[in-house]
Amino acid sequence: MAEKSVVARGVCKSYKSFFGAEAKVLNEISLEVEAGEIFGLLGPNGSGKTTLISIFSTLIYPERGSVRVLGLDASQKRDEIRKLINISTAKPNFPWSLSVKENLRHYGMLYGMHGSALSRAVNDLIDTFELGEYADMKFEDLSTGLKQRLSLAKAMLNNPRLLFLDEPTTGLDPDISMKTRILIRRIHEEQGISVVMSTHYMPEAEMLCDRVAFLRKGEIAALDTPQNLKNHLGIGERVVVFYEGSVNLKELEVVPGVMSVAEEPGRAEIVIDRTTENLDRIIKLFSGAKILDISVKEPDLEDVFLELAR
Amino acid sequence: MSWRGEVNKYLASAYKNWIISKRNVFTLFELFFWPMISLLSIGLLTRFLNVGPAMVSFLLVGAIALTILQVAQIDVAYVLLFDMWSKSIKNTFIAPVRSYHLVFGALLFGIARGAFVFAILVSVSQYLFGFDFRAGGLLPVLIFLAGVFAVAAVIGIAVCISILTFGQKADVAAWSLSGLILLVSGIYYPVAVLPPALQVLSRVIPLTYFLEYYRSVFIPGPHNLATGAALAAAYLAVGLILFDRAIERARRTGILLRLSE
Repeated sequence: MAEKSVVARGVCKSYKSFFGAEAKVLNEISLEVEAGEIFGLLGPNGSGKTTLISIFSTLIYPERGSVRVLGLDASQKRDEIRKLINISTAKPNFPWSLSVKENLRHYGMLYGMHGSALSRAVNDLIDTFELGEYADMKFEDLSTGLKQRLSLAKAMLNNPRLLFLDEPTTGLDPDISMKTRILIRRIHEEQGISVVMSTHYMPEAEMLCDRVAFLRKGEIAALDTPQNLKNHLGIGERVVVFYEGSVNLKELEVVPGVMSVAEEPGRAEIVIDRTTENLDRIIKLFSGAKILDISVKEPDLEDVFLELAR
Repeated sequence: MSWRGEVNKYLASAYKNWIISKRNVFTLFELFFWPMISLLSIGLLTRFLNVGPAMVSFLLVGAIALTILQVAQIDVAYVLLFDMWSKSIKNTFIAPVRSYHLVFGALLFGIARGAFVFAILVSVSQYLFGFDFRAGGLLPVLIFLAGVFAVAAVIGIAVCISILTFGQKADVAAWSLSGLILLVSGIYYPVAVLPPALQVLSRVIPLTYFLEYYRSVFIPGPHNLATGAALAAAYLAVGLILFDRAIERARRTGILLRLSE
């Protein structure tokens, strides 16, 4: 059986200010990331996502607790782990005056790559991430999307077995975000590498992640597959009806499976647990009115996020 | 990993510093303007004071030593400063590199720049002030330069340690080290003229010994090169150990993340 990508037990982290004030960022985090999966860390700003990714990638150390990465003890085998992993950070930054190609060459050298293998890897990554047109452009002249692509290319330099992505689409335009997600999915599928990514975009997690952990105030609020989270939290499907005429919505509240009803003039929003069984009964209640529009929305991670963030 | 891969880990910092330097117009100030200002002002002072050739050599050796020390030390410090200024420090420390890869790689480029500045300064000082830097042969020159570059590495490491320990603005304190060296290591005067307490301090600074050694070529006198070499080697070794510890501490405290924000 393949070894787990990450095993964390009781990880705690606090930051101390110069004057000794202590801010607890992570509290007793325990989780496992399976080999080959894309694991998402979700949570609002300040929930500890970046700190946790930084600890898993050995960039910083936990205050307490243990971490094993790819079967190696992160407190003992840091150099070995660093050879096997890489990271693409939120708001990617690189030396400003180095071009795309020079940056990749520089970081490749830091990983001990050399000669034709280094040149080949740099050129291949430039092709893979469609950076050819910008290969000689200085980092400071790149757009945000191109900087992100360079960051992902850098993260693939050493053919990592485990890739950490810290908010990989933050600040990107929607179309560039989608391209980046497709690129991440492609890298994952083609190279079979495990990915641990943080994000606060729920559609991104839903599209990419096999499992997700919700962090809230430095603790894991929930951990499961996106589908299971939606099921287990009992988040219902949302039926929105626009209508003309009068409807006694009080009757809706006694319909089995109806979780809540919100009413505005000409608009009703009903949350139910099983659309297929109850939709017919709901629609019958509108028989005295003219239905203008009706939509049914399945719950998504955004709903899970809002539920957990309460 | 092959030896070529290991060598490339060292060369990575030299490569980065080289690219950044060649694209920075202010490099010209570091390599030409300030070194020439320093040399010419001291050279002209010797004319004003109407001192003999031996004293001209004494003062010009000090001016040249201080200049190449400053050029090489900043190159070592740049290995972290460039990362800090561009907020890319995470990308360096996620890679499997150690402090010695970074320091010696950057020092290599510092040596190249320092040697270039040295060549310019000795040529100009020979032409304008009759200073013959090869009066004692090539070996004393090489030993003197090795000593200056070793001290430059130590100061550069001290800058890096202070940044990792105290944060971005702490480098100012470390830069003042070169000011201290200017005062007590006998750049422009023999350390014998210092008050006794400062003379003791001068004896723990390796540059003092390398200056005395090289000056003995022009003005015969006592020197203790072995002590200077031993001190420089010890400081370099201790500096690298402390640099590694500063990196580990920055990882424990999380300052490494703050330096990237």
